[in-house]
This record gives sequence, C-alpha cells and structure tokens, in this order.
Amino acid sequence: MQFFSVIRWIAWKDLLSEYRNRENISSMFFFAINVILIFSFSFSLDPETIKEIMPGIIWVAFGFTAIIGLGKSFLVEVNNDCMEYFQMLPIPKGAIYLGKFLGNFLFMLSVEIVLFPLFVLFFNLDILDQFLKLLLISTVATIGLSALGTLFSALTVQIRAREVMFPILLLPLSVPIFIGAVEATRGILSGDAFALYRHWIELLVVFDVIFVVVSFWIFEFILDY
Amino acid sequence: MATAIRGIELSKSFQHFQVLQSVSIEIASGECYALFGPNGAGKTTLLRIFATLHRPSAGRFEIMGFDGNRERAKIRAAIFLIGHGSYLYDDLSVKENIQFAIGIRGWNPTDLEIKKALDQVGIGRFSKLRSRYLSAGMKKRLSIAKALLVRPKVLIMDEAYAALDELGVAMVNEFIRNFTKEGGTVLMSSHDRAKTAEVAHRVGVLNRSVLNEMSVEEMSAADAIF
Repeated sequence: MQFFSVIRWIAWKDLLSEYRNRENISSMFFFAINVILIFSFSFSLDPETIKEIMPGIIWVAFGFTAIIGLGKSFLVEVNNDCMEYFQMLPIPKGAIYLGKFLGNFLFMLSVEIVLFPLFVLFFNLDILDQFLKLLLISTVATIGLSALGTLFSALTVQIRAREVMFPILLLPLSVPIFIGAVEATRGILSGDAFALYRHWIELLVVFDVIFVVVSFWIFEFILDY
Repeated sequence: MATAIRGIELSKSFQHFQVLQSVSIEIASGECYALFGPNGAGKTTLLRIFATLHRPSAGRFEIMGFDGNRERAKIRAAIFLIGHGSYLYDDLSVKENIQFAIGIRGWNPTDLEIKKALDQVGIGRFSKLRSRYLSAGMKKRLSIAKALLVRPKVLIMDEAYAALDELGVAMVNEFIRNFTKEGGTVLMSSHDRAKTAEVAHRVGVLNRSVLNEMSVEEMSAADAIF
C-alpha cells in the first residue's frame, strides 16, 4: 500500500505546486497558442487542406509543448536538494518515478484539453462529435510522452546542457508515438471507421507499456547511483 | 550498549583527491558523537556516507547492524539526515511540506501531531506560510520538526547549529538531550565547541583525512583542536 501512497503524494505535490506557481503551464500555453496562430495564418482554411494538415499541426503543438513542460519536471526536485531526500527514502524508487509520471501525465492532458477548443476556433473544425475519440488518442499518446519525458527529465536535470540534451534524447524515441498519434488523428478527422485506425492506437498502447516499464526499471539506477 | 554506527577503514576519494583515509569509528546507541575539523576535512563526506548518499571508495560501514552496501533500504528506514539542503518545496506551506515529507515515508501524522512538532521547534504560527518565505534558521527548525515526527533511530546532523539563533541552538541541544536519553543516536558535525560540549558524549576531530578521537573535556580544555 505504501507504494501507491508514494505515487499519490508525489503527484499531489507536483500538481499543487504547479497550480500555485503556474510557471510551467503559462509558458506551455502561450507557446501552443503561438503555434496555433502561426499555422492558422499560414494555410488556407478549406476543409480538405485542413483535414490533411490538421493532425500534424495538433501533434507539433502538443509535442513541443510537452518538451517545454516535461523538461522542467525535475528542476523543482533539485532546487532545495529534494532529490537527495528521495534518495534517502526507504521506499522503492520506482514509486517516485510513477508519481512524477502521473503528475506530468495529468498536467499535460489538462493542457491538451484546454487547447482543443482553440483548434476548433482557429481552424473552423467540426470535431465536437469526435471529441471522445480524440481524447482517447491524446490520452494514449500522452502516456508515452510523459513516460519518456519524466525519465529524461530526471536523467538530464543535473547536467549543465539539460535544455539541449532533453529534446535530443526525447524526440528520437518519441517518433513512434508521434507517428501513431498523427495517423490515428488523421483517421478520426477524415471520418474513417474505427477499425481502419485501430491498429495505430494499439501500437501506441504497446509503446506506452514498453516506455513505462523500462523507465520504471531504469529510474532506480538514476536516483540511487 | 549496542553499537549503532560502525565505520571500518572508510576511505573516500573524489577524482584524485583523498578526502577520507582509513577512518574507523564506532558509536553506541544513545550516544551523541560530534565531529570537528576545518573546512574540507571530510566531515560532510563521512556523514553522507553514513546517510547512504555516498559510497565509500574503500572500507565498509554498518548502521544498527545493517550492512552499508547490501542493506541500504533498512539503513534508510533507521536514519534521518538534517543536512545542508532544506528538502523543501517553495510553493508548499510549512504544514504541507511536513505532510509530504512524512507521508511519503508511509506515515500520515495528524494535524495535532504536526502542530505539536512545529510548536516545539518554535514555528507553529508559520504553519500556513509557503516555505519560500522562510529564513535559513526557520528552515533548519522545520527539518528538526520533521525529525521529531519521523523518530529515527539514528540522527545525522551536518553543521547542527548553522543558521540558528541562540534560542534555536538551545532548542536543538534540548532535542538532542531528549533524543539520546530515549536511546536515539546522534552523529553531528559542528564548529562550535562550547555549544557542542553541552550535549556531546564523545568527539572526533577530522584533519587531513584522518580522524582523532578525544573526550569532551579534552576538547574543551584544548587551546585549538585543529
């Protein structure tokens, strides 16, 4: 039971801190708005073009917003030597990873949910009846992104060039997530039958499981060197 | 008395610099052992080895009979470190920081227990204040409040009196006296001989990587100890 209690405490602490300082969320939000604005003025808004390019725009916005948010995830643990406190705790270190992952996932997903209406507004999308399916894909893809982002944030937080190293590590490994998410989103926006893009969602789930399990296992060695 | 802390021929190097050289130390349960030494002598390194934050380059150690290499989780359940870091989250209040620090160890103290601990260290009225606004001394008091709630078997204090005012020092000494009376073991580093002499049972002076032990009386009588 203590294992789950640790996860809950870490996620609670991260979400409460973010709610109070709003440092991450504001930079992520304004970056995403910029991306949406630039793309909305760059392309013609006829429905066929939008269907073609929209999945890419959505996942460019979500992907780079994730880099901004997840990269700073462990900074808060370094400020007052809190990583040291984690290191000395008599608990499985994987629980700390899962707590950070859960906090990051909920935080990222809430940002994405807030951004969806902006896509509707700026690109004149008719996706209200598809919202639940889009939410499912967002959830599955964000699990994978958060799993990798949390791990690499822990790995790079103590090095000087962390702003450079974090995307260098995260982006190549997240390629399967972006491919799966873009293809599944394209299927939804084109009005395809679920069976036609279901395999992309299954691919995302497989990568989610791999990334979470491997990161959980590696984290022990990162923290307890 | 059973041995609480045992270090055998401990050595530690950082790059090519030898910080500790074959340091052996034995501290009994219920004892307060004070480490002295000039800056860079290796006091913090030795304390961090016992706190399982560093691994020794050579030698081995035991805390409460648990081996420092193989039983680190058991050692971690028995110790508490009050170090240079405050281990606080700036955007959480004093009370929330305590709830988190203790809760993550698997125990949820009641509001009354938290209030009692904060009152005991003299920061009860700041319980709703975000920790970013605390002074260094108040952060130190908060760390001691955590130790009061965790009730470890071994307390490791790095620069025990740093940042504290006179009342704070008296409070720390009162805490150490009660803690050792109840069977707890304290390993501390300090630069203040007079204040340390009030609570320490034995003293070790680390200088140039080597530990020399002496009694509190010898330390108090000496013109200089390093």
